[in-house]
Order: sequence, then C-alpha cells, then structure tokens
Amino acid sequence: MDLELTEDQRELKSTVARLLKSEYDAATREEILASETGWSREKWEQFAELGLLGLPFAEDYDGADMGFAEVAVVMEEFGRALVLEPYLSTVVLGGGFVNAAGTDAQKAEILPGVVAGETLLAFAGFEPAGRYDLTSPAASAAEAGEGYAVTGEKTSVLGAADADTFIVSAAADGGVGLFLVAADAEGVTVSPRTQADGVRTGSVRFDGAQAVRLGSGDASAVIEKVVDTANAALAAEAVGAMETSLQMTAEYLKTREQFGAPIGVNQALQHRAADAYATLEGAKSMALYAKLAVAGEEAAAATGEGAVDSKSRHRDVLAAKLIIDKAAREISQESIQMHGGIGMTMEYPIGHFAKRLTVITRTFDDKDEVTQELASLGGLLEPHAADLS
Amino acid sequence: MDQLLNKEELEFAQHMREFYRTEIPEELRFKVATGQDLTKDDIVTSQRILNQHGYAVPNWPVEYGGQDWTPVQRHIWLEEMQLACVPQPLAFNASMVGPVIATFGSKEIKDRFLPATANVDIWWAQGFSEPNAGSDLASLKTSAVRKGDKYIVNGQKTWTTLGQYGDWIFMLVRTDPTVKKQAGISFLLIDMKSPGVTVRPIQLIDGGHEVNEVFFEDVEVPVENLVGEENKGWTYAKFLLGNERTGIARIGMSKVNLARAKAYAAMTKTSRGTLLDDPLFSARLTEIEARLTALEFTQLRILSTQAAGSDKPDPRSSVLKLHGSQLQQDITELLVDVLGPQGLDFVDSTAVGEGFTDLPGAAASALPDYFNYRKVTIYGGSSEVQRGIISKAILGL
Repeated sequence: MDLELTEDQRELKSTVARLLKSEYDAATREEILASETGWSREKWEQFAELGLLGLPFAEDYDGADMGFAEVAVVMEEFGRALVLEPYLSTVVLGGGFVNAAGTDAQKAEILPGVVAGETLLAFAGFEPAGRYDLTSPAASAAEAGEGYAVTGEKTSVLGAADADTFIVSAAADGGVGLFLVAADAEGVTVSPRTQADGVRTGSVRFDGAQAVRLGSGDASAVIEKVVDTANAALAAEAVGAMETSLQMTAEYLKTREQFGAPIGVNQALQHRAADAYATLEGAKSMALYAKLAVAGEEAAAATGEGAVDSKSRHRDVLAAKLIIDKAAREISQESIQMHGGIGMTMEYPIGHFAKRLTVITRTFDDKDEVTQELASLGGLLEPHAADLS
Repeated sequence: MDQLLNKEELEFAQHMREFYRTEIPEELRFKVATGQDLTKDDIVTSQRILNQHGYAVPNWPVEYGGQDWTPVQRHIWLEEMQLACVPQPLAFNASMVGPVIATFGSKEIKDRFLPATANVDIWWAQGFSEPNAGSDLASLKTSAVRKGDKYIVNGQKTWTTLGQYGDWIFMLVRTDPTVKKQAGISFLLIDMKSPGVTVRPIQLIDGGHEVNEVFFEDVEVPVENLVGEENKGWTYAKFLLGNERTGIARIGMSKVNLARAKAYAAMTKTSRGTLLDDPLFSARLTEIEARLTALEFTQLRILSTQAAGSDKPDPRSSVLKLHGSQLQQDITELLVDVLGPQGLDFVDSTAVGEGFTDLPGAAASALPDYFNYRKVTIYGGSSEVQRGIISKAILGL
C-alpha cells in the first residue's frame, strides 16, 4: 500500500510551491485581485511555460499526458496561495469537457491553445431557475445550417468575462447536449460579476448563437464525470487553503498576547484548534479519497485494467465533498474567530482564505445536495445485520 | 481498501479473511456481530485459537510468538478480525502488559510470563487508575515499600476492567514519594490471589458489571515481580498508553455496527416508508458513513507513512482516538434511535412471552451499549487529553 506522492509528483509540488512563494505573495495577489480582469495574463503564461495547463492532456495535443493526480497536486498548491487565475474554469472544466466529450478533431483544434495559455474556456451549465441542477437545462439547441443555434440564459459561469469559447449545456434530442459557442459570436451577451472570493464569474445570454456540438449523444454522464473531477480538484484546493489557514491561526495563537501571555495558552483555544486540526486530517483523507476515485477511473479507462466504475467514482467524490464542506466551514469560521477582529479585515490574509473556502463549499453543489444524492445512491456501506440475514 | 493493497498484501488479507471465518467458532462471531456480552470462556477460546496459529500477539517480538509483519499487515490482521466479528485478544494481555514485559523486562520475567500471557493462561487486569488519579495518572498514591526481598503494597486501584476474572494485575505503584511525581513510579506484577487483595464490583449505568475497585492491604510482592528498573515505571506506562492509542479507532468494528444500524433502519417502518428513506435519518446516517471513511483513510495515510520507513509513534494517532471514539458513540446512538420506543427497556432477552411479538434483536443491547460506550471518549486518554496532545505535539501551542 502506497498513498504517498510519486517522485515526479513531489517534484511538481515543490516546483509550483517555489514559484508561488517567490511570485505570488499576498501583496502580488492583492494587486491582481484589484486589477480590471481580476487575474494575471503574465502569471497564466508562467503556468503555461511550466506545463501546468497541459498536465491532463495527451501529447498529441501538446499536453504532458499525465492525469488528475498531477492536477490535484497543482490545485492544492494553488489553494495555499489563493491563486486567482482561471485554472479550474479553463483546464479542469473546459479542457475536461473537450477532452471527455470532443471528437479528435475538436480536441486537436482546442486543446493545444489551452495548453499554450492562449485559449480560455468556460462552462455555461447553471441556470437562474435551476439552482445546482445540471441535468435538465431550459436552454435549448436547434439545428441551424451545418450546426446549431443555442438559446438560453446561463448563470454562475466561471471565467465568463474572458472566455474565448463557451461550453454550453442545452436540451437536445430529448436529453442534454454540449455545444461550443465562440464568445464573439452574434447573440452572445456576457454580464460579468465577481464572486466573494474575487474569482470572476458572470451570466451569459445566448440568443440563437451559432454553435457546434461537442461530440455527440447525451452528455449527462460526461457532465457528471467532469463536475466530479472539478469537485475533486476543489477538494485539493480546499485542503491547501485549510492547511494554510490553520497554520496561520496556530502561529497567531502563539504570537498574539493578551492579559500578559500568548492567547494560545488558553485551553479553550487550544482545544478548538486541536479539533480544527483533526478536521483537517479528515479533509486531507477525503481529498485523497476523491483523487483516487477520479485517477483510478482514468487509469482503468486508459490501461483497460480494472473496472471503469462511474457510479463508485460519483459516490466517492460526493462523500469527499461532504467532508470537505463540513471541514471548510469549521476551519474558515474558527480561523476568523480565533484571530478576533483582525480576521475580519481585508488587509489581513486569513479572511481571504475564509472567503475562498466559503465559495468552494457552494460551488457545483452544497453539503445538503451532496448528502441527499449520496444517500439516494445507497451511501457507502451495504446494510447488514447478522441477526436479520 | 482492497484496491489499495499490493499483491502480497491482498493475498494476506484474503488469507486472514478466510482464516477468521473458518477457524473461529460461528457462535462466538455471532455474539460479537449482534452486540451480545462475551463470557470469559468466549474470550479465552478465541484467543487460544489465534495463538495456536500465531495470530494472537503479532505485535510482540518473534521469539515470544510475534510476527515479523509490516505495519500494513498488522492493520489488515486487526481490520479483518473486526470485520469477521472475531472476539479480539484480551487487550490487557496482548497490547498492554505483554509489550511492556517484552520491551523492558528481564529474560527471566519474559520467559516466566510471556507464553502464558499470549495464551491467556494468565488473565491480566490493569492497575493504573486510582480514585484521585484519572487523567492525571502520575499523581497515583498506591505505595510499594521495599522490605528485604519483598515490596509491601498498600492502596486502591479503580476502573479495573474485567478484574473479576483477573489472575494477575499489572500495577503502577509509588516506590519513591520524595521525588517529582513521574520519577517515583514503578511497574509491578501482583498475583491477585495474594493475601490482602480484595476486588469489589462497580455497577455501571449500562446495567452491567464490567469494572471493579481493587484494594491492597499490606500485600507482599516478591521483588522479582518488578518489571525493568525501579522508578522507571512512568516511561513504561507512556509506552503502553502510546500502543493503546493506535488500535483504538476500531474502524472495522464501527463498520459492522453501522451496517447493522442501517439494516435495522431498512426494515423499520415509519408513516412515510422505511426509516432508511426518511430524509433526516438518512442524512445523519450518510454523514456518519462519510466520517467513518475519512477516519479509515486517515488511518491508512498514517500507515502509509510508517510503511515508507518511519515506525515512530505518530501524534496523528490522537486524531484516530478522538474521532474514532466519537464515531463509535454516534453509531451506538443511531441504533438506539432506530429502535425507537422498543429500545428503551433494559432486558436480558428479547422474548416477550407467548402470544406477544418479540422485541427486535438489537433491543437487548442497543441502549446498554449506548451507555457503555460513553467510556470510549474517557478511557485510553480522554478526548480532552487527545486535544491537549494535538495542540502541544502538532500545533506547538
């Protein structure tokens, strides 16, 4: 049994960590946050040069031919520095959809641009009336000429303002289809917004916008798979953010003095910090659990060894998200409380971690949603009682 | 877990799985699976079968019946044992006094006690806690005064689990009252048949008799019953308590109990269907399942670091104790709640009488277990002690 990172992954981790330490400190991040786009093209190019944008894609498309395990390593480090660049929207979601659903020609057309840092993608799935539902879009696609025309309104579109191409879910053939729409196509209107954590999002209207179908057939299974992958990526990011929050909080407890002593001498605070640590360990375990589920399915599909089991992947990611959500809530709230008033300020970093964590727990789903869905799938354990069988 | 194991580990797991299910009597495993109390004979029978095959004390040195296993194999051995509902080796023998004697005892004392300890020819009781020495164990007062080739022991121990079956008791005693409290403690073995030893039962809120008080009045103990060096007992006790913490998460057992609560919920009717379909109940159950999985993977992560070379005690095992004990309690509570009104009686049998419907099978054990399991966040270092360890050893507070 070996749950440690491979040597290559450890190297990737330290490379990313070194880069962020020297190039992405709190002051730099603050500048990026306050900039017009809310993220930095320059940093994005650095990530591209390092090969981070091509990690999960095949060499045929200029990728590194690695997999989700490496993406998770990057996301965890991004979580530590609260990286604002659109990695989740472009690489994990957008690239993930093209990679999972696209034809070879579509992959060849789109992915090299993503890998090079030249193409930005955004998934337009959520709708104003649907909360977290992605299974029955009100947006629709009608055949038009050689392609389609997509009509509908999407919301909470990560990376909406700067996307070059949208991947839009819309009702098609009695199911759900995915459609590629160029951001500059006629009939596309973007209303950009900024999330509480500074990450850019927005609403997008498609009014008979010209579209090309991404792959073919019903896309429900692909949507579930790519969103699961994104949730597993968020789990890794959350672990990075939670670990940093707790380290900062423990440090603060040791240095902040009140009543003539560091506040960390108080057992009331020690025990709550210890509980937060125990919670963090559980979250790390479940981020690993989600990573194994996603990477395991990926490996089974690639090598033909072992079962490609999408139901258990979905269940495992839901279970992970449940624990991550609980942990993120506890650690972000406790970090502010243990810092006291300074934790409420924009000038001190702890609140920024709390904001990102609060958004993560409600991105793609929330704790109640994942709990209900996991329960409806039968949970993780088969019922068995020796005296009932 | 199987998909994480390499080929050898998987074969080992399959071997243990089959061994437990073929060699340990079904009736014993059924008792464990349905939460019934085990008798002394049940525990002895099970441990002797294990010992015969070298599976009672794998954590001991090989020359005294241990196995040269990896941390992962030791984990599989225990996890599969719990999943098969095999009565576990008596902790006082296998994971407490045995390793202390094996690590710190003289050759004579090892030869004298270890084989009988592995085979439960001696049933050991634990003499650590005292009425005024609980979490602050080092403040214990029971004294052992050297007189020629004997110690004269006076004092009182308490919470002595299953002491009513005890042949011998391993004790922490004060041999030097003049120094810092940790520096005057020794580790002494006492034959419970010695004159001056009295065992008194303590009745617990679960309705059972599991723990005892043990009184010592001028008990004469030969000096050769001292383990290791005089006044080094605190070191040995810390070693023992460290061993106790790692196996204490009891994840396999929690899986069995949770699967049982779930099966009962699936056959329990409510006004809206079965209890398992009830949204609030199923949300609570689902969250416990996810927490249990998180704890299992925390244990595997710790194992994986140990497998990578570090066999040091890992302070993260305090997380296993803290969360493992909370989960055990939450699961006993879940089963009580599944039973509803029929779970509220203290009954020895679920038979109600001719012409009446029997109580559900779990009714005889669920509420007693709920009360009994209040102990798990108290013993082996209470939850508060574990938080203290985490805050000092890991967070540096």
